[in-house]
Amino acid sequence: MNVYYFLGKGGVGKTTVSAAWSVGLAKKGLKTLVASIDPAHNLGDAFATPISDRIMHINAHLDAVEVNIEEMIRAYLNELSTKMKNTYRYLSAMNIDRYFDILKNSPGIEEYATMEAIKRLIALRDYDAVVFDTPPTGMTIRVLAMPPVSLVWTEQLIKMRKRILSTRGMVERVQGKFEAEVDGEKVVLSSSEKEDPIMQELLSYREELRALRDMLSSDYSYVNIVTMAEDLALFETKRIIKLLDGFKIKVRNIFLNKFFEIKNPPDEIKGKIEEQEKVIEKMKTEIKGIEIKDIPLLRKSPRGIDELFNIYSKYLA
Amino acid sequence: MSSLIVLIGAAFYIVSYFTYGKSLERNVVRADGSTPTPAIRLRDNVDYLPAHKFVLFGHHFASIAGAGPIVGPAIAVVWGWFPALLWVWFGNLFIGSIHDYLSLMASVRYDGKSIQYVSGKLMGESSKYIFEVYVYFTLILVVAAFMGVFGALASKSPAILTASTLFMVAALIEGQLLYKTKLPFWLSSAIGVALTILSIVVGFLWPFINVPSLNTLYWLQFIYIIFAATLPVWFLLQPRDYLNSYILWGGVIIATIAAVIAFRGFSWPAYTGFSAKVISGQPSPFWPTVPLVIACGALSGFHSIVGSGTTSKQLDNELSGLFVGYGAMFMEGMLSTIVITSIGAFGLVVFQGFADKIAAAGFDLAKMSSDATYFGQVGAAVINSKDVGIGGALGIFTKSFGQLLNVIGVPVKLGITLGGLWASAFILTTLDTTNRLARYAFQELVEPIKKVSKGLHGFLTDRWVASILAAAFGFFLIAKGGNAYTALWAGFAGANQLLASIAMLTAATWVKNVQKASTGMLAAVLIPAFFLWITVFSALIWFLVKVVPATTPVLQVILGGFVVIMLVLDVFLVINFFKNYNQGKKATAKA
Amino acid sequence: MKRLLYFLKKSFDVFDKAMKEDSTSFIRKQLEEEENIFALITMGIFSGIPSPPTGIVLRILPHMSREISIMIKRSANLDDVFGEIMGTFNVD
Repeated sequence: MNVYYFLGKGGVGKTTVSAAWSVGLAKKGLKTLVASIDPAHNLGDAFATPISDRIMHINAHLDAVEVNIEEMIRAYLNELSTKMKNTYRYLSAMNIDRYFDILKNSPGIEEYATMEAIKRLIALRDYDAVVFDTPPTGMTIRVLAMPPVSLVWTEQLIKMRKRILSTRGMVERVQGKFEAEVDGEKVVLSSSEKEDPIMQELLSYREELRALRDMLSSDYSYVNIVTMAEDLALFETKRIIKLLDGFKIKVRNIFLNKFFEIKNPPDEIKGKIEEQEKVIEKMKTEIKGIEIKDIPLLRKSPRGIDELFNIYSKYLA
Repeated sequence: MSSLIVLIGAAFYIVSYFTYGKSLERNVVRADGSTPTPAIRLRDNVDYLPAHKFVLFGHHFASIAGAGPIVGPAIAVVWGWFPALLWVWFGNLFIGSIHDYLSLMASVRYDGKSIQYVSGKLMGESSKYIFEVYVYFTLILVVAAFMGVFGALASKSPAILTASTLFMVAALIEGQLLYKTKLPFWLSSAIGVALTILSIVVGFLWPFINVPSLNTLYWLQFIYIIFAATLPVWFLLQPRDYLNSYILWGGVIIATIAAVIAFRGFSWPAYTGFSAKVISGQPSPFWPTVPLVIACGALSGFHSIVGSGTTSKQLDNELSGLFVGYGAMFMEGMLSTIVITSIGAFGLVVFQGFADKIAAAGFDLAKMSSDATYFGQVGAAVINSKDVGIGGALGIFTKSFGQLLNVIGVPVKLGITLGGLWASAFILTTLDTTNRLARYAFQELVEPIKKVSKGLHGFLTDRWVASILAAAFGFFLIAKGGNAYTALWAGFAGANQLLASIAMLTAATWVKNVQKASTGMLAAVLIPAFFLWITVFSALIWFLVKVVPATTPVLQVILGGFVVIMLVLDVFLVINFFKNYNQGKKATAKA
Repeated sequence: MKRLLYFLKKSFDVFDKAMKEDSTSFIRKQLEEEENIFALITMGIFSGIPSPPTGIVLRILPHMSREISIMIKRSANLDDVFGEIMGTFNVD
């Protein structure tokens, strides 16, 4: 299964390109899922049909979904809250719900939930291709960076936990199994990794993160940038490529969108077109190893499967 | 005579416990068996957990006992055994034990918080800072004094040096056995005790580690401190501390038995003169300077910290407080009593053994035996003389101890080695813990510097820098101070007693404003508190005027500086005390 | 006789327990510190210090009841750290 990610700033045409791409793949006979994980969903507009947060058929080979990240976060925290209420009985007196309100807005929760969404959709084995319309660049970078960054933290925490378990072991050798009273209940504090629930969580999470990281760097992950032929955009695109390279994630294609293709440009936009030429020159020289495709500014935004396929066959394939 | 003194001492303490002690419990502390202590109310099975009172007594006693109750009296006997004994008995009764007991109980009434915290609440926040300054100075000085005392002993006794080094190895092994293997606890402990005994025996039979140079010994101790204090606690400190308690109890039991059976007369002079040359070769008036010599055993500020640090959090019942806090102090008094007895009975025998060297060094041993005043003038010099080679205060103690144990059949040299290991085991452990504490106290103290220079503050509070600074300070004081360990000991004891002063004043404030004791009982706390304050203040002035100028320039500056700072703070303290006392400031003690 | 034996056994048990505590006092203090630091770091969210990415925290939060209680207890005792440290190490 191949996974395609389309990154780009807001308004740059991500949704159109990713939708067109998914249509193209589906036409080739590949069972495709196109998913929007951008909180500002535009997928439904692109397909000119309402898309919900439940996977729905667009046509024989194409499914679509607009993931409701906020709802995911809420549901997850609710589940956690219930779990916690059972384990931390005396804390419930302290009104755990307040703490979960903080968590809803904590740094990283959106990234975490988005990554979870990606994970879940990829895990649906019945597709040949999954196409993601991603949130604006900044957020997506943070999402893609999440596995390696979290890995660093997890390694540190594992080290710390090992130290605690080792110290506990020393006390255990003298005084026997450590019993602590938590919340009115006697709990045995273990010194072995197998019996320490926190260590087990940390270790299994580390495995998951490694898998995620490997998946994102693998050959079947295609990260594409949708951008425009402007100076600032070029600058940012190079920055993104470098950043992702730091996480061992390769950018495969750059799609230059809303490209001015005008035979006799009026004076007002001659400057813009010159800039465009220059940018393209620079791009071709400074960015190596990545295919650059141009998509011209269209008279009207494509809507519906046929128009999207048109885009695909003309410019993306 | 010896047996008599020991028995009288025991009787004295026991009777006092049941009369004076019980009165304190009833009328001052108003200990209430039905009020739950913090150990029960705040129980968390880590810090707060009720301990059986015998166990707590053992812990508390082992914590407050160290080399202090041995070294102090061993220096003080130059005044004669009688004045030393008087202070150990009555100083303990009227000041020391009250200090320990009240600190403990005040802490218990404040949720087990430290006496420093309580003093902050009752006497104002500045007293908290003063507390920290005193503690830091005490920590530096105790390092210097102990380094000196150990150096003096070890340079003259390869047996003890060997035993101490081997004991360290034993502790390292014990640490591995206890915490890294699955050996049953009793077995590891038994092996540890066996290894300890082995260290003593080997030291006795093959004293192969011989370092006669004082300077080298200071360097060795300095390096030891730095390493020991940075090792993880389980490696050396914890097993050492653990084995120390076996040495302590073993030593106490053997010594008591021997002292009682000995039936030996005291050949040591009973009284040599009011101003015998005790401290740093200066004529030292017994009052006010005796607290600068005998600290633990009679009175020690550090006990208040120990009592309010862990003990108060583990007291199972208010009525156990007397036994633990008051009783343990009496027990330490007994320990000092035995030390004095040992020297009293056998000190001169030891001198006889060194008759040639004493004569060669220019002292008249015969005159010492007949003329008490002459004894008072030269006694300390004889004990500390490098040419004579007795080995300082610990030297006279260990050698007398060897004679004492001989009474029950232990070979003299073996007894000496045992006594030596007893003292040095505690000294070396103290050097380790003191450095760790000093690191922490130092960081607290230099907190204000942050506002002035962040870089400097960062440098000073770096773990290694703080550790080396603390050790270097102590090392510097003893090495460049002319090996004047009695002067440094006096400095340490002075700082220690100032701590006791704060604790006593805090206790007095507590007794008046919170407990609202009757005037009679209040006097029982207030009078000693003031007596202590005046005595220590005068003693330190004497020290500043008479002792410091006669020492090396290094000591004059540093030691003198410390003393001046402490005296100034002491004045602030007393002003603070009166401010809070007369305002009838009531601090709510948490029920 | 039986009562004497029983008394001896009880005394030995008390002694045993005391010695075991004695030989681990510093280590247990160290353990508490380590657990406290672990708690502070993982729960940094609640106290405003840099903390691990939320994902990690959420995963281990359900198992952290002991760590949370230690952290709360330690915060309550922050007004007397001096006493705690000084009382642990004994100087005399």
